[in-house]
Amino acid sequence: MEHSIKKKLQIIDKPVISVNNISVNFEDNEIIKNLSFQIKEGEKAVITGESGKGKSTILNTLLGFIPISKGEIYLFDKQLSIKNLTEIRSQTAWLPQETALHFESVNHIIYTLFTFKANKSKYPSKSKINHLLNSLNLLPELLNKEIDEISGGQKQRLLLASVLLLNKKLLIVDEPTSSLDEKNKKLVTDLILSQKDLTVLSTSHDPYWIQQSDKIIAL
Amino acid sequence: MKNVVDIDYLSLILGYIILIIPFYILWYYKTGLLKDAFFAFIRMTIQLLLVGVYLEFIFNLNNSFLNILWVSVMTILATYTVIKRSNLSIKIFFIPVFISILLSIAIIDAFFLGFIINLENVFDARYFIPITGMILGNTIKSIIIALNTYYSKLKKEKEFYKWLLANGASKKEALIPFKREALQNAFNPVIAGIAIVGLISLPGMMTGQILGGSSPIIAIKYQIMLMISVFSASIISVILSINYSDKFVFDSFDILKKIGESKKK
Repeated sequence: MEHSIKKKLQIIDKPVISVNNISVNFEDNEIIKNLSFQIKEGEKAVITGESGKGKSTILNTLLGFIPISKGEIYLFDKQLSIKNLTEIRSQTAWLPQETALHFESVNHIIYTLFTFKANKSKYPSKSKINHLLNSLNLLPELLNKEIDEISGGQKQRLLLASVLLLNKKLLIVDEPTSSLDEKNKKLVTDLILSQKDLTVLSTSHDPYWIQQSDKIIAL
Repeated sequence: MKNVVDIDYLSLILGYIILIIPFYILWYYKTGLLKDAFFAFIRMTIQLLLVGVYLEFIFNLNNSFLNILWVSVMTILATYTVIKRSNLSIKIFFIPVFISILLSIAIIDAFFLGFIINLENVFDARYFIPITGMILGNTIKSIIIALNTYYSKLKKEKEFYKWLLANGASKKEALIPFKREALQNAFNPVIAGIAIVGLISLPGMMTGQILGGSSPIIAIKYQIMLMISVFSASIISVILSINYSDKFVFDSFDILKKIGESKKK
């Protein structure tokens, strides 16, 4: 209880994400209608709802991947627009469901993002990577394996490691524990949701993740 | 120099008889390719006969302007073929692909005909038309494979592309893995082909020159230069086509627009 109050107090009253009355159309159907919510700095929010309700769509609209038909979105006090797109994307870390991503090798999962100009300065040291892998219950030797030698759960945790290593202020993540067993679900949930400076917007069906989040946006 | 043995028209017609075997195989295995193959050979025959007549005429005239016009027509047809075979929209892709192919053959022709062979007139029909034709013919195969790979991968691995963009990659950076794969798929077979020339395969141009009475040494020199030219023109036109098309196929949020031709039945 005390821990929870402390955690809530750490949240500074400043929205990192502000979604104002947005609607999203897909092939003449309005899949999101008049949705509004705010997420403050350090807050851990989760979007819940049945499949097909548009949970992933909301995450996609925040990064400009799906256009909104109505309303406004602000990230880091900047309106989501063509002009601000690069700046907004450079401050976010994004993780879709692991099944959607194909890699040539395990090594690529960790290092690909650091080949880009915007991330080069954050190139992680071996010890930093190993430390993070350990806390995700992964062995560093995993990086030398072929991509088809690792499980879905290992891949999901490696992907999570790669985006956490970016050290961004905002993490947008789609079903982060979907491929994990019970033990690793708890481990990953505790690791991500305990990072006090990190703002998290997620979608999830996982009761433990939902329970540990600060805010629930039910669709 | 020995005289070339001509093929008379009766023998040419008889030559088609051998096609019964491949056509029978296509029919027996119900490949659905028999009709296409049949019409492909009819088209090929008519086109070549017409081109034969036309080339006789154009070679006799040897007018630079007409030669350039002819090569432009060939480039338009090549562009059209590339886009159609890649199932892409003519409206979006015609200009970028046409300009890319034209630019690459201009560079390579200027280098090969003007600088290496050192022709007085680079637009001399005997050199300009067949060499450009060979470069174009080989280039379109590579462009078709590259465009097909690039756009099918971008559609299939859209989430990966978005993952790169959303985690700090610029559009240019996020597209590099897709361009890499397009180049690998298009040029792996070409490079393998170059490596076995002379051992397993004798290229068409060289064979043609030898049959036409040239010394094998001259034929080989031309062949070497031609392979270098084809390879260079293909890579230049592939990367120009992809990069130039990029300007028209992404929306302002860097997402790939609908670019395919709707399939009409």
